[in-house]
Amino acid sequence: MLEMKDLRKRYGKFHALNGLDLHIPKGSLFGFVGPNGAGKTTTIKIMTGLLYADTGQIKIDGVDVTRGIDQLKEKIGYVPDFFGIYDNLKVSEYMEFFASCYGITGLKARTRYMTLLEQVGLEDKIDFYVDSLSRGMKQRLCLARALIHDPFLLVLDEPASGLDPRTRFELKEILKELQEQGKTIIISSHVLSELSELCTDMGIIDQGKMVLSGNMEEILRRVNATNPLIISVLGSKEKALSLLKSQACVQTIAVKEGDIRVNFIGDDQDEALLLQQLIDAEVMVHGFFREQGNLESLFMQITDYDKEKAVLVHEDKSSL
Amino acid sequence: MKINPVYKMETKVSSRSFRLALTLVFFNAILALVTLLNMYSVVERVKLTADIQYSSFTNLYTFVAVVEFVMLMFIMPALTSGSISGERERQTLDLLLTTTMKPREIILGKLCSSFATMFLLIVSSFPLLAVSFVYGGVMIYDVFLLLLCYLAVALLSGSMGIFFSSLFQRSTIATVVSYGVLVLIAAGTYAVNVFMLSMARMNMNGALVSSFQGVADQASSGSSLYLLLLNPVATFYVMISRQTGDNKLVGSLNNWFGPHPENFIMDNWVLLSIIIQLILAALFLIAAVIVIHPSRGKRLRKKK
Repeated sequence: MLEMKDLRKRYGKFHALNGLDLHIPKGSLFGFVGPNGAGKTTTIKIMTGLLYADTGQIKIDGVDVTRGIDQLKEKIGYVPDFFGIYDNLKVSEYMEFFASCYGITGLKARTRYMTLLEQVGLEDKIDFYVDSLSRGMKQRLCLARALIHDPFLLVLDEPASGLDPRTRFELKEILKELQEQGKTIIISSHVLSELSELCTDMGIIDQGKMVLSGNMEEILRRVNATNPLIISVLGSKEKALSLLKSQACVQTIAVKEGDIRVNFIGDDQDEALLLQQLIDAEVMVHGFFREQGNLESLFMQITDYDKEKAVLVHEDKSSL
Repeated sequence: MKINPVYKMETKVSSRSFRLALTLVFFNAILALVTLLNMYSVVERVKLTADIQYSSFTNLYTFVAVVEFVMLMFIMPALTSGSISGERERQTLDLLLTTTMKPREIILGKLCSSFATMFLLIVSSFPLLAVSFVYGGVMIYDVFLLLLCYLAVALLSGSMGIFFSSLFQRSTIATVVSYGVLVLIAAGTYAVNVFMLSMARMNMNGALVSSFQGVADQASSGSSLYLLLLNPVATFYVMISRQTGDNKLVGSLNNWFGPHPENFIMDNWVLLSIIIQLILAALFLIAAVIVIHPSRGKRLRKKK
């Protein structure tokens, strides 16, 4: 669906994008994450044709964005990190205006925007001035505006910023619904907990490079792989500790609140083997699990450069 | 017929606003005041001298036309200099650029909506101009030429406003620069001619110190006079002078900047100047389209 290869963009001496590679599958809800200044908005602007990359290639649905942006504009919906509204227009006029910008007029436009306003829950605000809407309503209106021409790719730049939890939840539900309708959605956000629940795929960008991307399940598995093993043992822990010390996959061991916390580098098979060895050594194991990680911890690890090295080393080892 | 969406939206918003009504009222109020005061003075003179000078009514036409011209020249940049920068301030320009609308359509939509307001101002002032028709002396051709002059200056100052609005992030800066450049064109070309004329007079006085009297009167600003073709004020002055009886350019511009030979340019001054103003306006519009086009940076880099 969307393919980026070695995308580079420079503002003066600052390299906003430094050889960005990205693949977004069709029909996915892609979470685009990165710290401030990582290059998220630049990437999004290049996707939507608002900026041109210095070098590299970006293709949407097989069409080169640099050459065929006019053709692609009909297929891309863009929700920026600001509302972008005309205060002096009514909701219906606002929608009608953007419909006409895509060449949709008359009854067709009216039918289309009425359906969309219904979808985002603004059907009763049609005669309200945009200015009088709440922040959440404005955001929903912007989403409806971006969908007026029925695009198959929807790009949202920080859509949840400044919204209350309820509006965020509503927005999330709308996005899920849109994905079910077959649209590919790219959403950049800092609210990682929400992205992990919402997205099917995710990419983490830092310093203009993609540092991690892939399917959400894979990423969460990887997040868990970096977390310690928690082993609960009944009775004496001596036997268990001496066995653990002899294991090559074990990096550090700590005893905390009666549990043994082991930094263990290994896959599911290695974990199973360790458990087997503990049982064979007659250790009374009554708990053996990986501590559940979250995207925040992974994000912090990746974007913290000292720790990043540790993660990369781990990735190299695990791939061997 | 497909109406430009930006034009449609802008006219809808502006016709709904209080500002348009206020502009119309003030514009016509000033013109009406000027007309009525002028008529009052003519009538009072008749009462005193018992002599009706019909040329006074032609002067009324000149006076109203000049006031209207100056007001249009200064209203148009105010209408346009916030057009694109306003979109930037509202953060709606990016949204417009992601739609299937081309940057040139956005620019044209903006220009047309400002132009519609200006056209409304001109048309609304016609009854006041028509006062002079009651007494005669002004032909329909004159009014047509006057309208053409108004359109040219409105297009020039309007497109200039749009260009600076595209160039600068803030509407205030765009407005100040638009007025600055407009004044520079109007006063600058005049100043260059005054300077050249002074230089020519100094040279002639130096060379022919003991020659016949009045040699300084033969001095002229030379070819820098043609710079005034860019100047809408000078062209308007020439046009209005012709309409009110001074049929030759020699009698208007030559009074200011010394004698110049009669040639094709001098004979067709008004028309040529209007064409040049329209070309300038088109160049400003093209530049504005280039400035707001997202690929601008890439094009510039390629050129380097």
